[in-house]
Amino acid sequence: MPLLAEGRAGKSPLHRLDARAKILGFVGFTVVVVSTPAHAVWAFILYATVLVFLLGLARVPPAYVLRRILVVVPFLLVVACFLPFFHRAGAGGYSLGGLHVTGEGLLVLWNAGAKAVLGALSMIVLGATTGFSDIVWGFERLRAPKVLILIVGFMYRYSFVFVEEARRMRRAMTSRNYRARWLWNIPVLGHMLGALFLRSYSRGERVYVAMLSRGYEGTIHLGERTTFGLTGAAFVGSILALAVTIRTLASIWGAA
Amino acid sequence: MHIPDGFIDAPTAVAAGAVSVGLIAYALRKTGKHLGERTVPLLGVTAAFIFAAQMLNFPVAGGTSGHVLGAVLCVALVGPWAAAIVMTAVLLVQALGMADGGITALGANVFNMGLVAVLVGFGLLAVLKRLLPRTLTGYMISVAVASWVSVVAASAAASLELALSGTVPLGVALPTMISVHMIIGLGEAAITTAVVGAVLAARPDLVGSFDLSLPRSRPALHGAGRRTRFWAFVAGTVVVAVALAVFVAPFASSSPDGLERVAADQGFESAATAEPLWGSSPFGDYQMPGVANGKVATAVAGLVGTLILFALVLLTGRVLGRRRAAASPGLAGAQDSPSDFGAPRGQA
Repeated sequence: MPLLAEGRAGKSPLHRLDARAKILGFVGFTVVVVSTPAHAVWAFILYATVLVFLLGLARVPPAYVLRRILVVVPFLLVVACFLPFFHRAGAGGYSLGGLHVTGEGLLVLWNAGAKAVLGALSMIVLGATTGFSDIVWGFERLRAPKVLILIVGFMYRYSFVFVEEARRMRRAMTSRNYRARWLWNIPVLGHMLGALFLRSYSRGERVYVAMLSRGYEGTIHLGERTTFGLTGAAFVGSILALAVTIRTLASIWGAA
Repeated sequence: MHIPDGFIDAPTAVAAGAVSVGLIAYALRKTGKHLGERTVPLLGVTAAFIFAAQMLNFPVAGGTSGHVLGAVLCVALVGPWAAAIVMTAVLLVQALGMADGGITALGANVFNMGLVAVLVGFGLLAVLKRLLPRTLTGYMISVAVASWVSVVAASAAASLELALSGTVPLGVALPTMISVHMIIGLGEAAITTAVVGAVLAARPDLVGSFDLSLPRSRPALHGAGRRTRFWAFVAGTVVVAVALAVFVAPFASSSPDGLERVAADQGFESAATAEPLWGSSPFGDYQMPGVANGKVATAVAGLVGTLILFALVLLTGRVLGRRRAAASPGLAGAQDSPSDFGAPRGQA
């Protein structure tokens, strides 16, 4: 599994855009995509075109996008396994080796699959063009509960440290010829994770003391970063207008 | 179990999201009052730990592996409301940073893994603590049961949402998700008990839910108010369990399970022996003998099955716990021994 997006560095207009504008734009875009009726196949192709255009604009390498999109594939496979059991009374369909797949079952799969991929894609564009601390800052400015947002920011910062620490522990085990292969090997991993928790908790206590000594009083000031301005408004306005237009045409014409 | 975008429809997403927002807001207030200015650093670091723990695959058998959900682990270490916040933070970062779990399904994912898993696990821990003997074994059994049930409960919630959205029929989603997660839950139970055991051995003061020596050290907990609240909680849990067994079970099994369906369609159902090995099972096909109405029979069978399972768990716990308690003279010493890791929590 690929590790967290690190907010790939870049100088494109999308990178420079205000984080609030990108959050509002991409979350809004996803909401509109998810609400689109599934049978308007062309609408989803248009949505994908918009996102791919933005990815090109930001010069995100295709391999990076592909690796991250793979996150949704396992879930899709699970749903595909259910397909033969869908709406058996439905008209039409295809038979293969005794298994019967109805048209309605396929539509459900397409609906879920297309929306899952597009939703993941728009989060990937957001993550690839915005540093995580900027996302945290943007959410804070958008009046998300401050404590929760600060916890998320902290978590993000330290998750790299702990994932690395877990990997180091595992490497130490491997280099001593230990390999957990069966369910009953779990206690060993459990003790390892227990040690990791103790280390992380005492690190948390040290961090807290260090923060206190620097004048921490329960709030963190994230400061000013970028301004929303006319560019931000123009971006949010145009991406939402585009999505809503496609959505409206889709519900008018349906499967045209 | 992370639901992506598009798998649940708008009403389900909004409803789950509204419940999640309300409960998380409550959790934030409650935790903020308890931890104060330490909330952000300590919960942030705990969330990072849970995130790292989820990245670490554990073996199931041969080459296959799974990873821990960590809800009950979190409850055992930091308490239920803080655990709900930690799980929410983890899910938020996964949705934003890894595109794991859809942003429109975030409310539902928080509901399943941050609230259902956490609160069900917490409830079971609380109930089993009262019912099982107050020994290390008793506590470990309750941790194992709670973490197993938390995973199954979260998967049941997820399949209910998928069914309400019309993505997967409930008769397919519920049995499939639950049976898969009953196996995954075994790994969860094993790893949760192992981690909690390891932390207990080094710093018992960090395991908030482990307070077996309460009768001696904190008699206030046995006050009348506590007891009333406890029994109210037991009653609530029983009501929920009974409601699930009575109302959901007949709905779920009104269409046959996947294998039976295939068998019926392919005409090899009749090939099943008329008197199989389990033919004398008291609730064959989850029907109660002697009850005419099919749905009622299923409901009664579900109810009886739930109660029997409950009793079985209790019995096992009591027997095992008593044996261990007789072998080792209790745990009181473990609590009193100085911790190996510097200052206890309260002095930091």
